[in-house]
Amino acid sequence: MPYILLNEELINQIQDMFDSQLKHPVEILYFSKQDRCDTCEDTHQLLEEVTSLSDKLHLSIHNLEENPELAQQYQVVLAPGLVITGLENDKLLDFGVHFSGIPSGSEFGSLIHAIIMVSKRDSGLKPEIRKELKDLSIPINLKVFVTPT
Amino acid sequence: MVLAHQMALENPLIHAEMIEANEFYDLARRYNVSSVPQITINEGKSVILGAVPEAYLLQEIIRVMQS
Repeated sequence: MPYILLNEELINQIQDMFDSQLKHPVEILYFSKQDRCDTCEDTHQLLEEVTSLSDKLHLSIHNLEENPELAQQYQVVLAPGLVITGLENDKLLDFGVHFSGIPSGSEFGSLIHAIIMVSKRDSGLKPEIRKELKDLSIPINLKVFVTPT
Repeated sequence: MVLAHQMALENPLIHAEMIEANEFYDLARRYNVSSVPQITINEGKSVILGAVPEAYLLQEIIRVMQS
């Protein structure tokens, strides 16, 4: 496929990481919308390029307005919206790893990290932190506001 | 951003969403975002400014849970 957003150096770097670290298949659900979405086109292109770098990665493309049930199922309200899911026996596992807006600049690294993490099913957090996180009794919603610098 | 996603993977009760503040300016304004990164826990039960260590984010999550 033609690469427009990723250069050769980056492609090689990501491919090395994917080859050595990806374990289980990952499907990225990408939600776009027709109007008033300045970054949808670039986000789509970026995801096509990234997911082409490993056969363990899959991309499914959805329209937020045409498929509101699916969007609601995955709690996606903004476009571009990404859900990084684990693919297991034809089922999608939503671990709550989501992006709203284009993951560019420093957040591009977060996207690559999220893909690898979901594929490995391993957060990489310290054991004591993991242990405490297991004991939650209520849903926790974390909104992390960033800018792509 | 990575830390919140890491935590989400550990427990299905945790949902972590990166939000690009420039793109979703109205939303960022609604959550009083004036600098980034900002982590808003459960619609404002806790607001964390700047990058923080994992133990701090965990402590805030527990505080929200117990409040």
